[in-house]
Amino acid sequence: MTSFVELLLSGITSGLIIGLAGLSVTLVFGIARFSNAATGDTMTLGAYGALMGTSLTGSLLAGGLIGLAAGALSAILAYVLVFRPLQNRSPISSLLASIGVAFFIRAVLGVVFGHDQMVFQMDLVRPFRLHGVRIQPNDLKFAGVAILTLALVFVVLHLTPIGRRMRAVADNPLLARVSGIAPRPVMFTLWAIAGAVAAVAGILLGMKTVVSPESGWDMLLPAFAAAVLGGIGHPVGAVLAGVIIGVAQELATPFVGFTYKIAISFLVLLLVLLVRPRGLFGKIEGVR
Amino acid sequence: MLSYLLFTLTIGGIYALLALSLNLIWGGVGMVNLGLAGFFAVGAYATAIVTGAGAPVIVGLGSALLASAIVGLLVTYGTLRLRGDYLAIVTLGLAEVIRLIALNERWLTNGADGMSGIVAPLRSTVGSQAFNLGYLVFVSAVVILMWLLLRRLDHSPFGRAMKAVREDQELAGFAGKPVLRLKLQAFALSAAVAGLAGALYGHFQSYISPDHFQPLITIYIFLAVSAGGVGRPAGAVIGAYAVVAFLEGTRFVAELLPGVDPLQAAALREMLVGAALLLILHLRPQGLLPERIQPARKTRP
Repeated sequence: MTSFVELLLSGITSGLIIGLAGLSVTLVFGIARFSNAATGDTMTLGAYGALMGTSLTGSLLAGGLIGLAAGALSAILAYVLVFRPLQNRSPISSLLASIGVAFFIRAVLGVVFGHDQMVFQMDLVRPFRLHGVRIQPNDLKFAGVAILTLALVFVVLHLTPIGRRMRAVADNPLLARVSGIAPRPVMFTLWAIAGAVAAVAGILLGMKTVVSPESGWDMLLPAFAAAVLGGIGHPVGAVLAGVIIGVAQELATPFVGFTYKIAISFLVLLLVLLVRPRGLFGKIEGVR
Repeated sequence: MLSYLLFTLTIGGIYALLALSLNLIWGGVGMVNLGLAGFFAVGAYATAIVTGAGAPVIVGLGSALLASAIVGLLVTYGTLRLRGDYLAIVTLGLAEVIRLIALNERWLTNGADGMSGIVAPLRSTVGSQAFNLGYLVFVSAVVILMWLLLRRLDHSPFGRAMKAVREDQELAGFAGKPVLRLKLQAFALSAAVAGLAGALYGHFQSYISPDHFQPLITIYIFLAVSAGGVGRPAGAVIGAYAVVAFLEGTRFVAELLPGVDPLQAAALREMLVGAALLLILHLRPQGLLPERIQPARKTRP
């Protein structure tokens, strides 16, 4: 029973990280209307940015903020240089382009930092026990940061004028346009938020495990699965689905082994598409 | 030098088959298969396992075709009614899962060590130089045959129905085309071609491991098809050879650069591949050889 609760807690933490990545995917899908395969590598970029920032400033917090800025900047840059010129073509063009962006980012990181794994210098904290359940204080911190980030995003989406405009564009781009909502600030805000959220996910993942140029790409499938399970374009759904997938992965580990974690996301993805393609909360996205 | 050239041309032929497979499904029906590397792997492993158990090579090739077609059917079935993005995401995941299975099911695939000693037909009798030459001729013949077949398919009623689905599937359905069945058939066919490429690769290298089937291959093929021209089999073939030439050329350049270690050089090449894909999407989305669309026959008033 205690090991079950421990797996559950660990699943919630990694699930929040998946949820953040899924939130980034679903925001871009809802507003820019394509599946962004560069999300995983934006995560990696954020993690490396935070590593560099930490070693420059000596503070994890400042480093994390630098990583966050790096993620947001790279996403805006990708939008201006790559996705904006393609926005009138099919979503498949943008999806392909995002894969190009993903490989580009990963290759740049590989050239600059090499392929060795890197770790954040963090104090080792002894886990404490609550009713016999081992709790990692760092996991609690990661979950706290993830929840704080999510709260900030939802404040922006629901309590600010730009957030309302973003939701309007997501709901009906043409109606938003004729209502006088300028697309430019909406898109810039979207990409800044999507990049920053992905970067936070990457930084937390890097702190929980290790950082390598490939680490983000491996998160892409769980992130897509979370976005689809949550109902694509539905922010709350993506986060909730991320937690569900994270918990499912951890709980399945004793049965299928550590190596098939990603396969769990794939299974979830297939099942959702077969049984309930609209996901938990989404509208059905039929063909055209 | 000669054996290097033979090797490169054979790999070019195998990539050309992959490009034909992608062109069939992407250019034909407008479905995007981001798991090409996975189907490539299924074909290679299928023939390695079957011929490893003692079956002749031709049975191995057949089982590669069959295995990848079945995997293709299974994975597309659930997503056919949905937007194209879903299929793209599912196939992307499929390639990763296939690689995981190849890595972890040691009893079937020998895990990360890979499978060695895959039968290379006639190599022991004719020697390796003659084998390489003969294999190049064989692969090139398969490419030409496949190109002719797929070009023929393009002009057949089946091909026209495929393109109708690509342009507007609601309209195609309204005109009485069996849209879902067409999509399943086209995807299975395309997966089988990718599997055949994998089988040819396995018998050529006589060694395969999960590392040979990185998602990078899928990107190479997307680069090849978009460079050559989506919807034109000849474009796909030319694009594939061009990509192989590009990759080998940049390999030499990267080796000449001072102070760059091999891993960095590989990353630099990946960077160029990503950049090339982006440039083509922006500057020449129709590719080198744009699709030719035959005008409809005139009907009597």
